[in-house]
Amino acid sequence: MSLLEVRDLKKHFPIRTGVLKRTTGHVYAVDGVNFTVEEGETMGLVGESGGGKSTVGRTVLRLTEATGGGVTFEGVDVMKASRSEMNVLRRDMQIVFQDPYASLNPRMRIRDIVGEALKIHDIGTEAERKTRVSELLETVGLTAEHAERYPHEFSGGQRQRIGIARALSLNPKMIVLDEPVSALDVSIRAQVLNLLEDLQDEFHLTFLFISHDLSVVKHISDRVAVMYLGKIVEISDSALLYDRPQHPYTEALLSAVPIPDPHTERARQRIVLEGDVPSPANPPKGCVFHPRCPRAQEICTTAMPTLAITGEAGERHEVACYFPARFTGDQRTVSSEPFEGSRPVAQS
Amino acid sequence: MAERLLDIRDLSTHFFTHAGVVKAVNGVSFTLHRGETIGIVGESGSGKTVAAMSLMRLIPDPPGKIVEGKLMLGDRDLRALTDDEMRGVRGNDIAMIFQDPMTSLNPVMKIGKQIAEAIVLHQDKSKSEAWRMAAELLARVGIPDAEKRVDQYPFEFSGGMRQRAMIAMAISCNPDVLIADEPTTALDVTIQAQIIDVMREMQAQFDSGVILITHDLGVIAEISDKVMVMYGGRTVEYGPVDEIFYNAHHPYTWGLLASLPRLDATEKARLTPIKGQPPNLITLPEGCPFTARCPYRRPECRDQWPQSETVGPEHGVNCWIPEDERVALRAELRQFKEPAA
Repeated sequence: MSLLEVRDLKKHFPIRTGVLKRTTGHVYAVDGVNFTVEEGETMGLVGESGGGKSTVGRTVLRLTEATGGGVTFEGVDVMKASRSEMNVLRRDMQIVFQDPYASLNPRMRIRDIVGEALKIHDIGTEAERKTRVSELLETVGLTAEHAERYPHEFSGGQRQRIGIARALSLNPKMIVLDEPVSALDVSIRAQVLNLLEDLQDEFHLTFLFISHDLSVVKHISDRVAVMYLGKIVEISDSALLYDRPQHPYTEALLSAVPIPDPHTERARQRIVLEGDVPSPANPPKGCVFHPRCPRAQEICTTAMPTLAITGEAGERHEVACYFPARFTGDQRTVSSEPFEGSRPVAQS
Repeated sequence: MAERLLDIRDLSTHFFTHAGVVKAVNGVSFTLHRGETIGIVGESGSGKTVAAMSLMRLIPDPPGKIVEGKLMLGDRDLRALTDDEMRGVRGNDIAMIFQDPMTSLNPVMKIGKQIAEAIVLHQDKSKSEAWRMAAELLARVGIPDAEKRVDQYPFEFSGGMRQRAMIAMAISCNPDVLIADEPTTALDVTIQAQIIDVMREMQAQFDSGVILITHDLGVIAEISDKVMVMYGGRTVEYGPVDEIFYNAHHPYTWGLLASLPRLDATEKARLTPIKGQPPNLITLPEGCPFTARCPYRRPECRDQWPQSETVGPEHGVNCWIPEDERVALRAELRQFKEPAA
């Protein structure tokens, strides 16, 4: 059994207009997402803004209610959990947010920020909680003296450490990390990434790591899912996905990332996608990527392809594309015949 | 040698605040030639934006002040110009593209009008002519339906299109110098690739000199000819792009390169962060601002700022470690790539 199973998850935000606030449409932020996360692994969710990565993270934790689909954590149905059941579940599922400035209450001391969850869950005596907070601060590379200070006294990297200490306070099994290093400078980013790796080893944590930065996701993830307009278009073991991307969107994303090596940069051929990401309120018919896709054909405009395994037996590489790239040895080919595995089963 | 556009000598810009003097830029020098792109790289607070704003004389005074330095645009001394004369320089000779195209465009003014405004101001053109030129410029930076788009407001543009509009505005008066301050940082990576392409094309067409400010070493590697590495308001290293990436001499440059997670990594290796926190610009030491975080610091580092030392063609470094020791230290660094054959 996987630690986290996400089945056909959907989150549609209503668009309300007019004085009567009637619903006139929906933003299809997450539209039928499937994936599983195994205990102790890091699943990376990557893609551009508007892809629905953060909404997946929040919906999994029920910080926002899903429109449809299911989430199970250790076999427990998260979507159906009652308030008190949810309280118990939340001890095991925590989150670290992107913005280390907005996610810490400026009027609270670090002691109270980090110890808040302990208090809410009524864990330990006042003195025990104090010891625990000091211990947590030391775990994330701060010192016990920092507990008496306020957030404004810390730099961005230190604040993110405080956010991590808060997430660790209840000994969770899984942490959703929503762009945890995006606001940090490169030299500080490496500190926080190393810290996350150490904590994962020490406490056997499972991470759902959300980021738009493909280099960071490659570095930290065991598996990676690429999202585009509310759908997962490709999901695979990290090394395989970066080495042999099959979906044209993944290929374009990878080729667009500038590499800090002038020789490599000069030799590279870049796939520059035309146009912008369409609005998730009005996603294209058929495959959501087809208006920007260099490989799009007639069939791509008919129905969204489903995720299917294309790789060698034993490889967990799934792609939602009628014309995925295939690899035989070092040979990359794209078949002109649509890939049957991605053809959706007609609904009866 | 191409025409020299800018010659900056010993620029220092400080901010006089209640908490103390914030020494944002301390003695920065560089030259920019026609057709050349200089990348200024550094982390937040390193002084890269303040240095660029000083060139435009856009430092809010008070609290900011250019306390020292010679800023030469061709044979004109920018510091000696009156405010009126300086307005003639901005947009016309030096133009700037900002990071956030949403806050740098006027939300209640049509895109076309914002572009035409600069043209009317700097070139003796009628309003209707300027409007037509605005549409042409938009088409040139790759905005489809430019004729229709000039009539729209910024909120009707996507992030990438707004940045294209900013570029159109910046090139409208054919400036010699283009300063781009984190032009792609707010954009998604596939849009970033588009914008970098547009910037490259525009530079080739107008043969301008570009100052590119960014924290992204990937973008630097892609489009810079020369690189200036800044830390704590100082230039710690300066040189041609290949020298900086393959033959760097400053411990901070090494640290930056080693701390990057890389897309082209073939195996999983632990990152090597730079220890410690970014410096406080009020309490900077007299000497090297990187001292506190430098693993190779020596007694003289904190109190004295080292002279720039030439270590290669147009390649300078400010560091107290003797050159032979630096080369030996660098050879030990795992992440340091040797130049490809």
